[in-house]
Amino acid sequence: MTFIRSAILDELVDRWLSKVAALVALYVTFRGHNAPGGGFAGGLVLGGVFVLQFLTGREPHLRHRPIRRPTMLLGAGLLMALGTTAVPLFVDAAPLESHIWKPDIPVIGEVKVVSSMFFDLGVFMVVVAVVLMMLLSLGARGSSLVGDDGGEVS
Amino acid sequence: MSLSLLILVGVLFSVGTYLLMERSLTRVALGVGVLGNAVNLLIVAAGSRPDEAPIIGRSGELTDPLPQALVLTAIVIGFALLSFVLALAWRNWSITENDEVEDDLEDRIVARRAEKNSKRGDVPHHEDVEQ
Amino acid sequence: MVLFPAVVAQFVAGALLLVGLRRRPAIGALVGLAVLAASTAVVATRGIGASTTLTETVGWLSTLGFDLVFELDGFAVLMALIVLVLGFGVLLYSLAYFEHDSTYARFVGLFMAFAGSMTGLVLAADLFTMFVFWELTSICSFLLIGLNDKSESARQSAVRALLTTGAGGLCLLGAVGILQVELGTTAFADLVALQPTGAVMDAAIVLILLGAFTKSAQFPFHFWLPGAMAAPTPVSAYLHSATMVKAGIVLLARMSPVFGQSDLWRWWVVLAGVATMLIGGWRALRQTDAKLLLAHSTVSQLGLLTVLVGLGWSTALYAGVAHLVAHAVFKVALFLGVGVIDHELGTRDVTKIGAARRRAPLVVAALGASTLSMAGMIPLFGFVTKEKALVAVLDAEVGAAGTVALVGVVLGSVLSVAYSARFLHALLSEPDRGEHDAVANHHEHHESSVLTRVLLGAPVLVPAAASLLFGLIATRVGKWLVAPSTSLAGSAKSKLVLWPGINDALIISAIVIVVGAVIGWRAPLSVAAPHGKHRSRGERSFDAVYDATLGLAKRLTRVTQPGSLPMYVAVTSLTVAVVAIAALAVDGWPAFEGFVSDSPLTIAVTVLTIAVSIGVAVVSARFTAAVFLGGVGYGAAVLFLMRGAPDLALTQVLVETLTIVIFLLAMRSMPHSFAPASSWAPKTVRIAVSLLVGIVVPLLVLSVHGARTAPSVAEDYAPRSISEAGGANLVNVILVDFRGFDTMGEITVLAVAALGVVNLVRAAERHRRQRERENSNASAAAGSATGDVS
Repeated sequence: MTFIRSAILDELVDRWLSKVAALVALYVTFRGHNAPGGGFAGGLVLGGVFVLQFLTGREPHLRHRPIRRPTMLLGAGLLMALGTTAVPLFVDAAPLESHIWKPDIPVIGEVKVVSSMFFDLGVFMVVVAVVLMMLLSLGARGSSLVGDDGGEVS
Repeated sequence: MSLSLLILVGVLFSVGTYLLMERSLTRVALGVGVLGNAVNLLIVAAGSRPDEAPIIGRSGELTDPLPQALVLTAIVIGFALLSFVLALAWRNWSITENDEVEDDLEDRIVARRAEKNSKRGDVPHHEDVEQ
Repeated sequence: MVLFPAVVAQFVAGALLLVGLRRRPAIGALVGLAVLAASTAVVATRGIGASTTLTETVGWLSTLGFDLVFELDGFAVLMALIVLVLGFGVLLYSLAYFEHDSTYARFVGLFMAFAGSMTGLVLAADLFTMFVFWELTSICSFLLIGLNDKSESARQSAVRALLTTGAGGLCLLGAVGILQVELGTTAFADLVALQPTGAVMDAAIVLILLGAFTKSAQFPFHFWLPGAMAAPTPVSAYLHSATMVKAGIVLLARMSPVFGQSDLWRWWVVLAGVATMLIGGWRALRQTDAKLLLAHSTVSQLGLLTVLVGLGWSTALYAGVAHLVAHAVFKVALFLGVGVIDHELGTRDVTKIGAARRRAPLVVAALGASTLSMAGMIPLFGFVTKEKALVAVLDAEVGAAGTVALVGVVLGSVLSVAYSARFLHALLSEPDRGEHDAVANHHEHHESSVLTRVLLGAPVLVPAAASLLFGLIATRVGKWLVAPSTSLAGSAKSKLVLWPGINDALIISAIVIVVGAVIGWRAPLSVAAPHGKHRSRGERSFDAVYDATLGLAKRLTRVTQPGSLPMYVAVTSLTVAVVAIAALAVDGWPAFEGFVSDSPLTIAVTVLTIAVSIGVAVVSARFTAAVFLGGVGYGAAVLFLMRGAPDLALTQVLVETLTIVIFLLAMRSMPHSFAPASSWAPKTVRIAVSLLVGIVVPLLVLSVHGARTAPSVAEDYAPRSISEAGGANLVNVILVDFRGFDTMGEITVLAVAALGVVNLVRAAERHRRQRERENSNASAAAGSATGDVS
């Protein structure tokens, strides 16, 4: 099922867009702590790329490997968010309490890492998974994209 | 408070309510989408003044970030909800070849039972004592 | 702490028996007997003759002032011993009574649960604790009446009993609430000390009396008790004559020292009690089923107890406590004895039970003694207590209510002598030859073992002997009963004697006995059941109310829930709009002022968004409508950006794009245009409703906007954002840190929605594929059919 197809688009989408977009999406996610962005927006950026791939007749993929089980991503994202919520409990702090590291990385210099970034990463993964699942199931009528067993890409 | 935003919210509520009262599930989905936008605008309009974005370091008075935080998740959840309604519409379409909302069957059954009951007598009699 | 464990042990035993020992109910019953014996020992050793009153508090809703409080005062000891000892006897009896009945395991479990509830009820030191166990007894009673769940009439009787006593329980809860709020306590001792009065207390009085009257089957709630006889005999004997129906009497006894001086209380108690006494006694004269005769006599006796205990006069209270003991003892023997006759003869018809004399002479003798006690014949215990009751109402210094009570007690006694005489007549009458043969036939199929006869006989003989013994040692028993009555009201000191000498009460008694005996002996044993009257008047009224309630609910549902979902939306929206308008009209309309001047760009974007949104509603092409919806979203995004919400703008733009795509995917196989759908209402109505909503919401926003007084939480968050959460973007910091729990919930919602979409689509796909398969099968079949023909 193809909506749009052309050689230039193939090249563009396959070789560049997915990789660049993945980087952009992560960037949007992590800059969100200090500037507009965040896990919701970042996830939607990557989701938008998958939509583009889907509309050009491909299965949504990163590095040419179709994403077969978005539910795994969904679960991983939820677990990561939940983990960030729960970990402070084990170090005698309030749930979701942030911890700020400032490791000094050679060349780049001092980097500030906040534990809540992992929470945002979980949000990011959930959003990406949600977009993928909706795309694959609603877009799959009559095709083999929805399997009998798991509803995932086959 | 911005008058133009207020009018926009009113119009969006009217349109959303109107679409919600339709029988076509696709139009109901459209109504859900419009109402979602209306509520998001309403919260932002009513909850804060149009000042500088709430990012520390920006010059000028910062606007209230709380309505924004509320609305940000509402936007994404609204999307999920809309997709769910659309999936419902589609399922209805693939099974019945139309996407209209049927009357609620259970309500109809209750109504029919009430009609029947008003004609019937009373409960069976308590006849004897056992054991 | 011993009282609470004693109560809980019975529940635990009951629960274990219900689950664990289903196959071996007899062993379960032995366990139950052991638990009852142990509890009896606890109560007896800690309660009888104790110098200090044992009190225990089990914390529950302590912050609300609600704890389980138990107190082993004199009355509690007496009642607990009645409950536990009679429970022991009845459980013993049930071992032989049920034999191989499949419901026995359930009976034993529920029986233990009931015994625990009842023990808790009588040990309760405050109204709240009593209420908790009160409700538990109602539930156990429901389950036990409906023990034979295959019988429609048993189920109906169970429901009647549950709804009646349950409604009374609700009233009692209301009284608990009133007392707790008004006085800050529901403890009986505190209430007696406070002696509260006033209009609010009158409400509490009415609620308490309603609770007591429903539980103790007082007029006009007397109808459920005879219906409850659908239960097996041990249940009837224990719950519906000896213990549970006494719960109302216990409540009256506890509250009488508090409210007994109130005219409201006194008149209600006297009128309800007298009416119940007379109705129950009269109906007992007309029953052909011996068990129903006893049931109606129980109703009548409960009326007498209500009058005595509720009268609020110390001697009457003492007489009431004494008669309560007498009644429990003789009635349990009567019920169990009739059960034995039923077991032996297979019938309880009063014209046939005369045949039991040859089969079970001892049991019949015990029945006779108990009947004489019920009639109030010297030298049985019933005589002593009935005399005391007469003396109490004769001497009662409570005005006109006392006179009504006296007349009622005298007439009620005539009736109780009469139905006792009729029952005695039935026991002594000679059944005719044919009946005798039928009974003999039954007996051939039904040879009982010695053990069975002992187990069935002992619980009948022992209480009957007690009736006689207590009568002979009346003075000593009277002393035992002083502690229970003084623990209720300090002044309730009195004594019992077997032979009071010739006095007013004795003369009245003599007249009562003669008149009653003549009426009762001459009353016909066989009464033709009135045609078509299977239910009593009370039961019919109850059923009429019950049916009318359900009918009303259904009619209401038919009117308010016609099934059209769009109409529900319209009604809901309209309600919101009307309520909001009403609130604004009362509260004042918001002022149209304080608007900021909008930039030309804002106005332009707004106008464009309005135009596009109207487009969503009016276009008939699906795709165009979806794209217009996206346009509305983009418009909102621009407005967000201009109002200092870049995060929202970014997210909104991305979401709108995805929304359009999802719309296109979902609709791609649907027709290009919307079908002109049939609707529940003309278009003008729908437009009117939506316009109203569109006007009300901005008005609400305006008034809400002006009402805000609290400072923004941002003022608290802003200084903490960098130091605690290490982020400058306040919106994001709120999402992932300050309010991270909320976000956790929200992404869970996202996940659930996505899974829902996947599964809906999968279900649709499966349905479609199945239909295709059926179609191809059908065409294949059609093809082969044509092949055969050719």
